[in-house]
Amino acid sequence: MSNLFAMARRIIRQIVRDKRTLALLIIAPLLILTLVWYIFGAKTSEPNLAIINYNSSNLLPAFKSADYERMSPLEARQALADKKIDAYVDLGHPVNVHLEGSDPSRNGLAMSKIQKSMQTVQQIQVKQMQTQLTNVIRSQQKAIQAQQQVMKQMTIALQQYAPSTLAALPRNTTQAGLPSGAQPGEKVQLDVSYLHGNSGLNTFDSFGPAMVGIFVFLFIFMIGGVSFLRERTTGTLDRLMASPIRNYQIICGYLVGFGLFVIVQSFILTCYIVYVLKIYNVGSILDVLIIVFILSFSALSLSILLSTFASNELQMFQFIPLVIVPQVFLSGLFPIETLPGWVRVIGNLMPIHYSTDALRNIMIRGTGFSGWWLDGGALLLFSLVFIIINIYVIRASRPLAS
Amino acid sequence: MTYPVKGEHLYKHYKKQVVLDDVSLTLREGEIYGLIGPSGAGKTTLVRILLGLEKADSGNVELFEQTPTLDAFRSLGYMAQSDALYNELSAYQNLEFFASIQGMRGKEKKQRILDVAKSVGLENDLKKNVAQFSGGMRRRLSLAAALVHEPRLYLLDEPTVGLDPLIRRSIWTLFHYLKSKGATIIVTTHVMDEVAQCDRVGLLSEGHIIAQGAPKELTQEFGVSTVEDVFLIKEGMKP
Repeated sequence: MSNLFAMARRIIRQIVRDKRTLALLIIAPLLILTLVWYIFGAKTSEPNLAIINYNSSNLLPAFKSADYERMSPLEARQALADKKIDAYVDLGHPVNVHLEGSDPSRNGLAMSKIQKSMQTVQQIQVKQMQTQLTNVIRSQQKAIQAQQQVMKQMTIALQQYAPSTLAALPRNTTQAGLPSGAQPGEKVQLDVSYLHGNSGLNTFDSFGPAMVGIFVFLFIFMIGGVSFLRERTTGTLDRLMASPIRNYQIICGYLVGFGLFVIVQSFILTCYIVYVLKIYNVGSILDVLIIVFILSFSALSLSILLSTFASNELQMFQFIPLVIVPQVFLSGLFPIETLPGWVRVIGNLMPIHYSTDALRNIMIRGTGFSGWWLDGGALLLFSLVFIIINIYVIRASRPLAS
Repeated sequence: MTYPVKGEHLYKHYKKQVVLDDVSLTLREGEIYGLIGPSGAGKTTLVRILLGLEKADSGNVELFEQTPTLDAFRSLGYMAQSDALYNELSAYQNLEFFASIQGMRGKEKKQRILDVAKSVGLENDLKKNVAQFSGGMRRRLSLAAALVHEPRLYLLDEPTVGLDPLIRRSIWTLFHYLKSKGATIIVTTHVMDEVAQCDRVGLLSEGHIIAQGAPKELTQEFGVSTVEDVFLIKEGMKP
């Protein structure tokens, strides 16, 4: 045990004395998180829209001049080509929409705005139909009243000339009331409720928890991997191998030493996104720290393992595109449900996938232990497998006495 | 008499190149054994195999008359050709770490670190970062790290390479002092004036030990003035 702590103490000292690495561990993630927060958390700008052929149209009230610039067809086409507007609506018959089209997100914005206006268009059309119908009904009512007038006159005439025939008629003249008048149309609005989160949840709120995991994984992978690689290249590993320290004490010493920095790093990152960037969080920070801590074990043990296959720092960093980047894309930051099965299988073999799932469960869904123990267990399993392989790999460095 | 290190019929090859070809080597307790030979002769490989850092293709190694165990490493000091130090740490922290994993504790450890730093002439540089050390200082610190736990057996791979003559001499004085306290030392070297200070030398050439014995006996046996000339005779050249 004391050997293990000697290892851990040495690693802590190494990192503390290497101010640059220390800064990299803490400041770089904060900087990137802030950038990502601005990028994904920012309010999206309003699309620029225009309408043409509006003079003859009765749909004009649906397209407020604040939202839709009035343009001639020629102007609109030019503005679209110059990217001054994202789309224009042709109010002729039928109504046409012309999109700029080069940026899918702007397309989406323009379309959703136009569709909102189209709802008003439909309301206008419905109202028009309503007024038309009421007019028809009114004119019919007038006709009925005229008929009733005629009938009254006829009744009077009959009373005067033939009262007996009148008595035979059933007295079924109904009070012709107004037909139940057109009630003001009920506003079509959905009542939306959220099981988790709220309407204010933006992209960063769902990215943020995953980002913490990704950063911890990335930085521990880099620093841990290089630090073990140097142990091999400078020959200190040989010196360790020629001492009574046991293989598991070396690996576990690394885990404990780096574990301390992971706790500090993830605590700062989590507090930063929760209290400074005010990310949506309903879970406990302790749960977040536990997950990130377990994740770092798999990052460190994987990087130690891969450092065996690298002969210098550059080769170590060559693993990043191979190990880190696919994990980021398949972690669940982006929807993966529709991907082909084999891609999802690969995703399931990646530690960050589980940390993302667990951190979202904790921070957005607010689930306690029941929500993350499975993911946590998967991460522990990863670490355990990597650690055991590592211990066997190191054994090759000390073939005689292991 | 016990044999701290014994290697018998060691073979080793990397890919097609044969590095050691039936090498047998037995160290006697309390001697300084010099392993000499041109670079590429297999000196480092032989030391690493004796240490258990590499496995021989065939042959047998014994440390302290038994198959190597982790406990045997407690009595063993190894210094590699590379300095094998942690650059981020200070000299003291380096020694402290190596002393700790050898099981040293507390005041004893502290005192021992100061002593060993003094013996290699680094007592005033302990607080400095190793990254600021010169090549010679690093070499001496590396040696100190191999000495810190007072082992009975030293395997030193080129301990004096890159050191100036004055320091080299004081290092050899240290070796003789360690020997006087009962330690066994195997040292690889290029430098011929160091060869004369060894009790016995082994001449390693292309994976074979071509001659072995006390330096004086060797020169007499081959009728030459220096051990270096023995190589030339063995290679079939007149000195």
